[in-house]
Amino acid sequence: MKHLFTTITVLLLSCASFAQNNNAFKAGEKLTFSAAYNMSGILTDIAEVKMETSAVNTSGTTLYRLKCSATTYSNFDSFFKIRDLYESYVNPKTVAPYLYQRDISEGGYYKFVKYKYSYKTNTVSSLIRKKSKNFASGFWDRNNTIKIKPGTRDIVSTLYKLRTLDIHKAPVGASDTFTVLFDNKEVKCSFKLLGKETINTAIGRKECYKIAINVTNNNVLKGSNANIIWLTADENKIPVYAKFKIAVGSGELKIKSATGLKN
Amino acid sequence: MKKVTLILSLVCAILAIILAILPLFKLAFIPAILALVFGIISFIKSRKDNQSTHVVQVSFLLVIIALGLSTYKTVFTVQEVGNTEELEQREKENEEKALEELEDLDIELD
Repeated sequence: MKHLFTTITVLLLSCASFAQNNNAFKAGEKLTFSAAYNMSGILTDIAEVKMETSAVNTSGTTLYRLKCSATTYSNFDSFFKIRDLYESYVNPKTVAPYLYQRDISEGGYYKFVKYKYSYKTNTVSSLIRKKSKNFASGFWDRNNTIKIKPGTRDIVSTLYKLRTLDIHKAPVGASDTFTVLFDNKEVKCSFKLLGKETINTAIGRKECYKIAINVTNNNVLKGSNANIIWLTADENKIPVYAKFKIAVGSGELKIKSATGLKN
Repeated sequence: MKKVTLILSLVCAILAIILAILPLFKLAFIPAILALVFGIISFIKSRKDNQSTHVVQVSFLLVIIALGLSTYKTVFTVQEVGNTEELEQREKENEEKALEELEDLDIELD
């Protein structure tokens, strides 16, 4: 359960090898999903997941703030309350992250992670903060500098980067691997384009790219080709549906609404 | 055999009641149906042997309550997000801090 929303976010990752500008989303986009847990074939809605974009002005430039949040429904709050927040401040054109923040609160467990990217030195300054009674501040902090490979991203920016890729140019069966920094470790994430499929969603009947995701060096996602994401086969490439398998079962992510779309 | 089905029926019925009360109420349908199946088997055997069926009837009663409660919750429960004040507060603080951090970063847009 603790990894469920991490899994949901990781699940949404995928990549192709073409670099291009962002024509998939703009500031002000808001996608809302419902996350359901599958037990013995019965789906139970447990949380709402939101993905929002906004423009952020600094003294020198304008960046995009990509925000993903997960909130359990009120009837689950007294059993396992989740209030997760994932943020990434990115280049509006290339979706390269400059600052990533993960602030999670899951059933009493709290963790804060911050990554500051430096592309000149290919390093990331990381801060991991947890609650601890052993310190006067009430928090245990660990600062690190991590050497990263060029192209390494965070979860949120990778998800949005995926939407900017020319998936229509990739042949069915094409697969690729990319690197994501998660919990100070570089995780290899591979994807495979399984083809196109038309599915019914809350925002209408959509033709979608069906993409299988596989994560190596990490035990969050289970099974091969058991984690699949459906992206609309248009310019927006909205994630409309996802199926995932984790250690404690499986689940689904379904879109509820989409506003502020670019195309 | 009759005792086993009777015990299974009771256990499943109690499990169904517990699940029906919890947020995972949709799962209560599985043990409720199992309790019903085991209960019917036990009921038929008891009737054949001219034995008391009181315990089976208790099991049936529990199943009816569990099914009723689960069905009611399935139909009438509206999924709403709970209190997000704390999350919004954290979000605001994080954004303010992030803006300060971004000012210090060397950002070159292509």
